[in-house]
Amino acid sequence: MSKSTDEQVNRRDFMKTAIIAIGGVIGGAIGLPAIPYLIGPAQKQDSEDWVRLGAVSKVELNVPTLFKTTIETQTGWINAEEEFSVYVLTENGQDYSVMSNICTHLGCRVRWIPDQESFFCPCHNAVFAKDGTVVAGPPPRPLDQFEYKVEDGFIFVKRG
Amino acid sequence: MAANLMNWLDERLGWRSVWEAIFLRKVPHVNWFYTLGSATLFLAVTQGITGILLTLYYVPDPAHAYDSVVYITTQLPMGWFIRGLHHWGASAMVILTVAHLLRVFFLGAYKYPREITWITGVFLLLIVIGFGFTGYLLPWDQKAYWATTVGTRIIGVAPGIGEWLLRVARGGSELSAVTLARFFGTHVWILPASLLTLLGVHLYLVIRIGISAVPEKDE
Ligand code: HEM
Ligand code: FES
Repeated sequence: MSKSTDEQVNRRDFMKTAIIAIGGVIGGAIGLPAIPYLIGPAQKQDSEDWVRLGAVSKVELNVPTLFKTTIETQTGWINAEEEFSVYVLTENGQDYSVMSNICTHLGCRVRWIPDQESFFCPCHNAVFAKDGTVVAGPPPRPLDQFEYKVEDGFIFVKRG
Repeated sequence: MAANLMNWLDERLGWRSVWEAIFLRKVPHVNWFYTLGSATLFLAVTQGITGILLTLYYVPDPAHAYDSVVYITTQLPMGWFIRGLHHWGASAMVILTVAHLLRVFFLGAYKYPREITWITGVFLLLIVIGFGFTGYLLPWDQKAYWATTVGTRIIGVAPGIGEWLLRVARGGSELSAVTLARFFGTHVWILPASLLTLLGVHLYLVIRIGISAVPEKDE
């Protein structure tokens, strides 16, 4: 009698263990690989490279000059062309400052308004000075600067 | 403390009786073939999980479907593994479902009062096959394209309405973006919803009626 109840309990315990074990194996075998699978694209570093903007001779003295280029990007399974715009400023024709046109507040695009001698951001009315410093509005820091180099009369910036 | 919490929860949810009905129900002394249904069930769950993971990257559009699959297998960490599980799991699913059907058949478990369990089972098998058929097209490579061309052509030979059925299956006269989109929608929405519904009935009946005993030689 007692033997058979023992057996009952063992059977039940066996099933319980088996279900937990199988569940654990399935959960582990899928759950663990799922983590890198899900965060993979976020881990991928954007590649750094030098982007050719154009002839340095196009940069006007003392006026932020807009350079627009398209660059090839690969996002996921799609190869696309992306617009890339920066403002280049020089005061002496020797030293340049290459500024991003991306507002440091929340990422809208800023525009140089010649009449006002300032950059404006339409999203929350930010104003930046010619050199990129914040004059008014919510942006927390000046416009970002890019590393640049001049070679054979062309100006390049480092992106990434 | 923990016991108190459990009691508190049980008073409101009544989960203990549900637990007992599902896991502590009495079963006759059966053999390993009786685990085939549960094996199918476990596998169905893994197919569901890996399938959901695949939809995070897969795109059902002729312009990108193949590239998104290549991206999953070659670019994503563990992507090849998740896709591999889903791919091989699909074949295993058909094999297990049929094996389960055979055990039910040879042990005579389809008889009164389990006819409806059997009938829902037949539809479950059709759904499992439907998953395989619609899923095969999704990578949109040569094999997928021509297999579905042939597969849908087979629908076309049905007498009378065959040609019309073929057009319904393809969403037009040829395989196209429309075909891919409707196969995808069927694969990830229509079939899973049908599977869940029928599986609910199937398992409810298994629990309500109880599992059949192994028939005796002299019965
Ligand atoms: C998605 C596919 C299916 C799943 C997940 C599934 C799941 C299950 C489970 C877990 C059981 C409990 C008993 C056992 O494991 O043998 C069961 C019983 C049963 N299944 Fe299925 N099943 C599926 C397909 C089918 C098919 C294709 C048939 C037959 C056409 C079928 C007919 C039955 C019958 C008649 C029972 C009752 C057996 C008995 O009482 O002894 N099932 N099913
Ligand atoms: S994003 Fe430019 S001011 Fe807010």
